[in-house]
Amino acid sequence: MDRNQTHRNRKRALKTLHFIALFATMSVICIPGLWIVLNSFRPTVEIMAKPPIWTPTFTLDHYRAMFSGAGEGGVPVFSYFRNSLIVSVVSTAIAILIGMSGGYAFARYRFKGKAGYFVGLMLFRAVPGVALSLPLFIVFAKVGIIDTHFGLILVYVALNVPFTIWLTDGFFRQIPKELHEAAEIDGCTRWQAFWKVEFPVARSGVASAAIFAFLTSWNEFALASQLTRSVGSKTMPVGLLDFTAEFTINWGGMCALAVLMIVPALILTFIVQKHLIAGLTFGGVKG
Amino acid sequence: MLRRRFPEWFVLLLPAIIVIAAVVLIPLIFSLYSSFTPYKLTRPSTLWTWVGTYNYEKILTDAKFWAAFGRTVLFLTIVLNLELVLGLGIALLMNKVTWGQRTLRTILMFPMMFSPILVGFQFKFIFNDNIGLVNNALQSMGFNVALPWLVDGKLAMFSIIFAEVWMSTSVFAILILAGLFAMPRDPLEAAKVDGCTPWQSFRHITLPFLMPFIFIAMTIRSLDVARAYDIVQIMTGGGPARRTELLWTLMSRTGYVDARMGLANAMGYVSILLSIVFTIYFFHKLSAARAQIGMGG
Amino acid sequence: MTEVNLSKVVKFYGKHRAVHGIDLAIHDGEFVVLVGPSGCGKSTTLRMIAGLEDISDGEVSIGGRVVNDLPPRERNISMVFQNYALYPHMTVRENLGFSLKVAKKEETEIEKAVDEAAGILGLDELMERKPAELSGGQRQRVAMGRAIVRHPDVFLFDEPLSNLDAKLRTQMRVEIKKLHQKVGNTIIYVTHDQVEAMTLADRIVLMQDGYIVQVGTPLELFNAPVNTFVASFIGSPPMNLIDGTVSGTDTIKLAGGLDVPVPAAARGQVTDGQKVQFGFRADNLMPEGHAVQEEGEKANLELTVTLTEPLGTETVLFTDIAGTEVQAKMLNPRPVRPGEVLKFRLMLDKCHVFDANTTEAIRG
Repeated sequence: MDRNQTHRNRKRALKTLHFIALFATMSVICIPGLWIVLNSFRPTVEIMAKPPIWTPTFTLDHYRAMFSGAGEGGVPVFSYFRNSLIVSVVSTAIAILIGMSGGYAFARYRFKGKAGYFVGLMLFRAVPGVALSLPLFIVFAKVGIIDTHFGLILVYVALNVPFTIWLTDGFFRQIPKELHEAAEIDGCTRWQAFWKVEFPVARSGVASAAIFAFLTSWNEFALASQLTRSVGSKTMPVGLLDFTAEFTINWGGMCALAVLMIVPALILTFIVQKHLIAGLTFGGVKG
Repeated sequence: MLRRRFPEWFVLLLPAIIVIAAVVLIPLIFSLYSSFTPYKLTRPSTLWTWVGTYNYEKILTDAKFWAAFGRTVLFLTIVLNLELVLGLGIALLMNKVTWGQRTLRTILMFPMMFSPILVGFQFKFIFNDNIGLVNNALQSMGFNVALPWLVDGKLAMFSIIFAEVWMSTSVFAILILAGLFAMPRDPLEAAKVDGCTPWQSFRHITLPFLMPFIFIAMTIRSLDVARAYDIVQIMTGGGPARRTELLWTLMSRTGYVDARMGLANAMGYVSILLSIVFTIYFFHKLSAARAQIGMGG
Repeated sequence: MTEVNLSKVVKFYGKHRAVHGIDLAIHDGEFVVLVGPSGCGKSTTLRMIAGLEDISDGEVSIGGRVVNDLPPRERNISMVFQNYALYPHMTVRENLGFSLKVAKKEETEIEKAVDEAAGILGLDELMERKPAELSGGQRQRVAMGRAIVRHPDVFLFDEPLSNLDAKLRTQMRVEIKKLHQKVGNTIIYVTHDQVEAMTLADRIVLMQDGYIVQVGTPLELFNAPVNTFVASFIGSPPMNLIDGTVSGTDTIKLAGGLDVPVPAAARGQVTDGQKVQFGFRADNLMPEGHAVQEEGEKANLELTVTLTEPLGTETVLFTDIAGTEVQAKMLNPRPVRPGEVLKFRLMLDKCHVFDANTTEAIRG
């Protein structure tokens, strides 16, 4: 009975420890984000207060200022939001079309040097944004597409294609080959077989690839900060810098813009989180 | 016409190849060329002066560059290992959860949605020595200190690593958790019956099985390690006194602030090489681990 | 000595009760088979003995030692899993030696034990291969080898043959039986296949819905099933069961109007008007001239054959008694066409009567 007792006690201790560890982890993950949200609703005086005030006052000042076009510090949040949206949506749509076609090629065809092509494409994704921004800045300036939506869209398409290929390749591979073969025997062309049979089956996977691409564009900073200059093309991550002056930062306003950035990303990610993980792991593991 | 000359797979890949060539390859070739010139943005004519490997010789003999390079490698090593260990730990914790696992997993994905620049600002705010959450909390608990989180060299490095780890540990945790879910239960039970302690089961059964998933996470992470640039740029800008200077911030300052594009591009090539080495290394590891666990093919 | 004792063992999954307080005493060196349809709690019971499931209530002891809260590693058992559960990243040799390695045994000792197990199961040629390179039967053998390497007190088998094809299954069945004769340990074996249970077991434990229905030797279960469930589960084809009503003290009126006498074993146990089920095995309903000559009471029936299943040494005949489909057996078969009318002999001594309400056997 002694050994049984020891094991019972150990089990109970482990359970408690597990709970504490989990709670601590979740706190570390949640608190920074919640802090931002909380501060977007606090008056600046309170944020800057010394000694700190722990009972928050609620105010919508920062949001009011942000949405009134050019409020505090005159940050044109609406334009930034619109730019972000246009650039992200358009670049995602194009990247998905191109990436899907590439992913399909990897999933369905055998050809020489396939693994080489695959790694090669991935490597282009590995080029650091800063390193790429230097020559892109010069090339775009020469071509005259700097500070335009088009330029940024082009960049984001190229940035997202490799990863979209990785994801869609994984999803198409999960679909049995027999499916399109059956469709072709039923009288479809290869093209019809793809759009009528394989694409609908892989749709959720493609959607998650799209969200991944969207988030990358939505959140990207290193390239956007060099390739955009004016209100007409700056995206929100770049716009965040508008809240910083040489020595001071408008924390409340910045927090409000941050919330505006996070919310769409949050919603989208929740919708596809399950497929997202499946896509990443299947694409990788069953390589 | 095209169809007759090229195989289908090539036609399907062509758009991807074209876009990447136009937006990545051509600028990279241009930057390769310019890294052999003393090109300055302020004097465009310098683009046509060929100086051979002068820029490379210069950075290779530059102590500041080597300091940044070494710091970057060290930074990546620390950060990736820390993320791996923490991610593994979190995944194991989550795997044992019996209720509300979906909710917890969603929370776990939280940091993945944050823009790196936002993470930078967020922690710049939280680690602010005057009004930051950390110092305020410390002071309210009775410690009469105002730790210079972002001003002191060592603390600044710690803060940056903290921010980076906060942002990216989720990638590991989520992927390793997916691995744990996909893991067949039988071998684990067999190990238990075979007399394994929990640690032995983990070491001999779970870990080998998780290796491919760990390397997927590593590969994905190595594709965008340079995201750390956003964080560092915002939190410290490479300061104080270059104590947190990484390859990427040094490069961006050389290029955009000092306008010495040729030199910056040479550094850029070193950073690209670094990223590629990391990526290829993990890709290689991934296929090796896959073969080991019998998932290849 | 390694008896395994279960006393009032209960398993809850949340609110759902999977095992209802079962008692079972397994003797040293006995080969016990837990059998039953899926979801009957047999695997759960085995896993509780193994320590892979918590025991909600009651007590499990192995070799006289209560093991309720001990982890598997302290129970000195080994287990063969349905999906073999081989470690995919280890060679056959590493798989076999793994339990000894984690027990920190000497290198030479491990090698000796592994070679011995490999010899018993004929694995010598496969030692450096990985599980992915083995066939189903080979994997099964490795799984068994892994179990015997550490000389456990008790072997646990969880449906080990269900992933093999029919031919291999028969072959492995023989090997398991030989293995038991060679090593002589206590074996607890779970299966849903009654043929496996019949051929392997010293004693069969038949389970249903988390209860033990009957415990006994294969022949006990076959010859004296305690209720209609056991009667139709054990034996192939299943026992024929026909609804009927007792009339007087010695006649059963079957649903379609046919009368049969109450079998000797149940005489005096039935009451007038009692609803019953009349049961007999196909082996005891045979066409005239194709039956085993046996003494005893017989009833003669004329029945129309509806379908035949020739099996070579015998043919299973499908026919109809009182609106219920029944199966009969024809030994030394001759071709029979559907629609043919044959004279059958029913061996009344081998018939059973079950109470229609409780399904329990009525037997003196």
